[in-house]
Amino acid sequence: MASGPWWRIGWRNIGRNRRRTLITAAGLAFGYLAVVVLIGLMDGLTAEMIESGTGVLSGQLQVHDVEYRPERKIYDTIGGRDGADVERLVREIAADPVVEAAAPRVFAGGLVSSGESTVAGILMGVDPELEAEVSSLMNGMVRGRAPAAATNEILIGTEMARQLEVDVGDELILVAPAADGSMGNDLYTVSGVYQSGMAELDGSYAVVPIGTLQILVALDPGRIHEIAATVTDPWMAPEAADRLTAGLSPLGLEVEVAAWTELRPEMLDYAQLADGWRFVVIFIVFAIAIFGVANTMLMATYERRREIAVMLALGTTPFSIVRSVLSEAVALGILSLAFGAAITFPVMFWFHNAPPDLSWIYGDYTIFGALIRPRLRVEYNFAMALWTGVALLITALVASLYPAARAARVPPADTLSGL
Amino acid sequence: MSRAIILVRLALRNLRRQARRSAITAAAMIVGGALMIFSLTIGDGGHEDWIRSGARMGSGHIAIQAPNFQKSRKIDDRLAASARGAAVSALQSPSITEHTLAVVPQLAVVGLASSPTGARPAQIIGVDPIAEAEFSILDDKLVEGRYLEPDDRLAAYVGAGLLEGLDLRLGSRFVLTAQDADGEIAGQLVRVVGVYRSGVPEIDQVVIHIPLTTAGSWLRSGDDVTTIAVLLESSDRVERTSQKLNRELSAEIEAGDLTVLSWREAMPVLDAAVRIDDLGNYVWQGIMFGIIALGIVNTVLMSVLYRKREFGLLQALGFTPRQTGGLIVTEGIILTFVSGLIGIALGLFLTWYFFRDGLDFSFAWDEDWSFSGIAMDPVFVPLFRTTRVIQSLVFLFMIGIFASIYPAYRATRIDVAEAMKFER
Repeated sequence: MASGPWWRIGWRNIGRNRRRTLITAAGLAFGYLAVVVLIGLMDGLTAEMIESGTGVLSGQLQVHDVEYRPERKIYDTIGGRDGADVERLVREIAADPVVEAAAPRVFAGGLVSSGESTVAGILMGVDPELEAEVSSLMNGMVRGRAPAAATNEILIGTEMARQLEVDVGDELILVAPAADGSMGNDLYTVSGVYQSGMAELDGSYAVVPIGTLQILVALDPGRIHEIAATVTDPWMAPEAADRLTAGLSPLGLEVEVAAWTELRPEMLDYAQLADGWRFVVIFIVFAIAIFGVANTMLMATYERRREIAVMLALGTTPFSIVRSVLSEAVALGILSLAFGAAITFPVMFWFHNAPPDLSWIYGDYTIFGALIRPRLRVEYNFAMALWTGVALLITALVASLYPAARAARVPPADTLSGL
Repeated sequence: MSRAIILVRLALRNLRRQARRSAITAAAMIVGGALMIFSLTIGDGGHEDWIRSGARMGSGHIAIQAPNFQKSRKIDDRLAASARGAAVSALQSPSITEHTLAVVPQLAVVGLASSPTGARPAQIIGVDPIAEAEFSILDDKLVEGRYLEPDDRLAAYVGAGLLEGLDLRLGSRFVLTAQDADGEIAGQLVRVVGVYRSGVPEIDQVVIHIPLTTAGSWLRSGDDVTTIAVLLESSDRVERTSQKLNRELSAEIEAGDLTVLSWREAMPVLDAAVRIDDLGNYVWQGIMFGIIALGIVNTVLMSVLYRKREFGLLQALGFTPRQTGGLIVTEGIILTFVSGLIGIALGLFLTWYFFRDGLDFSFAWDEDWSFSGIAMDPVFVPLFRTTRVIQSLVFLFMIGIFASIYPAYRATRIDVAEAMKFER
C-alpha cells in the first residue's frame, strides 16, 4: 500500500484539516491509552491476587505426603510414620533453578489461652530462618520479633493478641491434640505480633518453632507436614512442580508436589478469564472509536469530491482512489498510535512504579481469600500494547472502507459540472 | 419562547441536512448508550445478588448487636434481654415489617472444633432452625444429610471444608470447645446431621450451625443471643430501615446496650468490593463516552466550519453570536439526547430480551469463585432501576452539552464580513 504516490497523497491529506485530524487522533489515542492502562490494571490485579494469595502463607509450591490433602491429618507426614530426611529434602527443593526458597512446616489445631480468654488457633511450626524467605507473615511484624528456634516462643496475629488481651512478653498456654491421641500442652511466651491484614488469618494462625511444636504434638523431628516454596515467577510454578516430582522420586518418598495453580484452581480460572477479557476490552473500545474515524474520513472524502473527480477524470483508477483513502486512514492511525503511545507510557510508568493509592476512599477487599489493596497497580504487558496498536490500525482501516468505497464511486462528470 | 422553538426547528433541520453524518455520530451514541445500560443493569443485578448472598450467609442486611460484639466476637458481649426486647418490638413496627423478609436470632461464638484427626478454629452459630432455614442461604447449599430441625439436640450443620479437615462423615461425632458465659472453657459433643458447600472457603472451613437451645445450655447463656439479623427485600431499603431503627432504638443506643449495623459495616470487605466494582464500571463508561464525546465534538465542529457562510448570513440578518452558539448547542443536545434515548431504550430492550434470566458465565467458572466472603454466582440477573435510567439520561445530556461547547464557542467568534466575503 505504501508504493506509488498514493501513500504520499494519503499522508499529506491528513494535514489538510489539522484540527479535525487532531480531534480524531485524540479519540483513537485516548482509546489506546484506555485499553493499555485497563489491561495493565487487570494484569496488576491478577498479579496482586496471586502474590497476596500465595505470598502471605501458602507459597507458590507445596510438597506434601500424597495422603495429606485434603484432610490434612496430623499423622500424614511426609514419608509416612517414619518421617524423612527433612534437611536433605528442603535442600533438594531449594536447588531447583526457579525456586527461591523452601521451608518445612508442621501444622496442628489447638486452643490458645491467656488465662482469662481462650481462642482456637492453627499452630504452624516453622524454621524461623527458612520461613522468613517463604512467607510474608514472618516479615509482617508490628511488634516484637519472630520466635527463635528451639524455644517456647510464639508469634501471633494482631487479632488474636486483641482477643487474648496479650502482648509481647506475655505467656500463653497451648493445648493441642497430638498425633498419638494424647493431649499436648505447654507454656509459651509471645515473642512478636504480626499483621497480614486478613482478620481470619490474624485471628487464627500462630507461629512457633518447628521443633517445639513437634514435641507438643508428639511428632518425631523427621516428621513434617509440608514444605512450602516460593518461585521467582508464579507462572513458572507448574513447571517447577513437574520437575520436582521427577527430581524427588529417587528418594523413594510418596510425595505430591503441587503448584498454586493446582492448590488454588479458582485463581487460575480467574487469571485465564481476565486474559480473555482483554480482547473484549479492545474490541468494545475500538468498536466505539470506529464511528468517529468513519465520520472523519467520510467528511474528508466528501469535501474533496471535486478533487477526486479530477483525479478520476485524469485517468486514476477507482482502486487507486481507494488506496489513497486507505493510506490516509493508516497515516491517521500511525499518528494516533504515536500520540497514544506518547501519553500511555508515562501513565504506565507512573502507575507501575508508584501506584496511586485509593485506600482513603476504599477499604481492602479480598478475592478468593487473597487480600487486595485498593491501588491502581499496573503490570507492563508489551505484547498487549503491541496488539492494541495493531487493533488501532485495523480500526482505522476498517472505518475507512466505506468512505473509500464512496470516494471511488464519485461520478467525475456530474461532480465537475457542479452538481 | 417562540425564539426557542425557532432555534429547535433550525437545529432539527440542520441535523437532517447532514443525515448521514448525523446518523454515524448517532450510531456511536446508540451503541454506547445500549452498552452503558447493559453493563449498569448487569452490574447492579450482580451487586444486589452479592449483597443478598453475603447477608444471607452472615448477619443479614442489618444486624443488631451489642456495641462491642463486632470486634470482640465474645459471648460476654451478647445482647441483654431488655435490649433484645426493645429491638424485637422496634422491628415489629409496620413500616419495617412491610419490607422485611426475615428476622432471626443468632448466638455466634468463636471456638474450636475437634475430632480424633485434629482440631480447627470454628465460628459456631446457634440458630433457630426454622427461622434460619428461611433466612440463611447455607441450608440451600446442602450437599449431604439435612438442615437442622426444631427438635434437634446435639446436631451440627457443617461446611464441606471443615468436614474434610476434621475427617468427619455424616453422623460422626465431634467436640466443640469455647469459652462460656461464665468465662470457663466448655465442651459440647455434637453430631454431623448435614453438610453444605457454599463455595466460599472462609465459610466452608469455619462456620458451624447448631440449634440455639443446644448453644444456650452449652454456653450457659440461656435464651440470650449475640445478634438479631434482619433480611430485607432489597438492599435499597437498608439505609431507610437502619435510620428508622436508629431512631426507635435511640434510648438503647445511647445507653450503650446495642448498635444497629448495616451490611456495609458488618462486611466491610464486601462493601469495598461492591464499590470498587462500581468504580470500575464508571471508569469504563467514562472512557467509552470520552471517545464518543470526541466524535461528537468533531462532527459538530465540522458542521460549524462548513457553515461559516450560513452563520455569517444569519448574524448579518440579526442573529446574535449568543443565539448562534445556542443553535450549535441545541443541535448537539438534540443529537445526543435522541440517540442516547434510542440507545438506552435499545439497551433496556436487548438486556431484557436476551438476559432477563441472567447472563451466564458458567462456561468460565463454576460456583467455586469467591471473593470478599461471598460465592460469586456465575449467572448475572440484570436489575432494572428507574434511578439508573434517569442517571444515564442526565449523563448523556451532559455529554451533549459538553461536546458542543467548543464548537459553539467557535461559532460565536465568526467574523461576519469575512465569512460572507467569498463564495466557497
